[in-house]
Amino acid sequence: MSALVRSLRHLILGETWTIPLGVGVTLVLALLLRAALPGGAWQAVGGFAVAALLVVALASSLRTRS
Amino acid sequence: MTFLLTMAAATAAVAIEMLEALAIVLAVGMARGPRDAVLGALAAVAAVVLLCLALGPGLLASADLHLLRVIVGSLLLLFGLEWLRKGILRMAGRRRRSSSYDEFIEEREALGERLPAESGADWAARLVAFKGVFLEGLEVGLIVLALGSAPGHLAPALLGAAVALFLVSAIGLVLHEPLRRLPETQLKLGVGVALTAFGTFFTAEGLGVEWPLGDVALLYVAGLFAVTAWVATRRLARSRQLVGAT
Repeated sequence: MSALVRSLRHLILGETWTIPLGVGVTLVLALLLRAALPGGAWQAVGGFAVAALLVVALASSLRTRS
Repeated sequence: MTFLLTMAAATAAVAIEMLEALAIVLAVGMARGPRDAVLGALAAVAAVVLLCLALGPGLLASADLHLLRVIVGSLLLLFGLEWLRKGILRMAGRRRRSSSYDEFIEEREALGERLPAESGADWAARLVAFKGVFLEGLEVGLIVLALGSAPGHLAPALLGAAVALFLVSAIGLVLHEPLRRLPETQLKLGVGVALTAFGTFFTAEGLGVEWPLGDVALLYVAGLFAVTAWVATRRLARSRQLVGAT
């Protein structure tokens, strides 16, 4: 049973904590940016900010593995 | 266009997961008998379908649309970024290439070492088939529900899953040479790019973003992650060569 739970955790969160952490940090920073920027600015550039943060998260996960 | 993109992403992601499940079922079938393998696999499929029917509609109906997009987007990002990370490491030679055929051989050898039941039901074989199909099927269910959660996306996601089912069944019927020829590493990297693009798109929309050019954003976001993957692969491969040369 514990092997199944371990497999499920592995399936959802993956092999490394870097990616779940990176996604979490991206969400927190995006919320902070949304609160700091005027509404129109966030609507226009928020998507690019989210994408850039995710690229950083991906790069970090590769660094820890290598 | 969103219809086709959602369908293509669902087809590719579901087909890859089903190939992995197929490799396990075939291995169990060849090592211990097809009846127990099929029974284990069918039980797992029933369990996944029941779980999706029990949880999916309730979750999709009760949540706020913005919150739902953030949750679904984050889930797709967890899958997509993980596939992307593994794909980059494999393409750069930092990790063994993905191969359902190799998994099939390994699983068959491992099962062949265990003693089969002398008579009656082979519960060990059923359990191996169940576990493999259940875990891969759960991933299929989560991906289809996530891709289909946006308004108007459920039909293409389900259609994509059906196309994948047909393709993988066809491959299963004429195994196992085609399994060996599939460029799985590249396919998985491509699916990683697609799932990450959908995840980024939904998450940002859930946070109130209006993407320039609307749904076309899926294409340029996918392009961004594809370029990132290409650059990262080249850099990792080059640093590996430098380490190897010294």
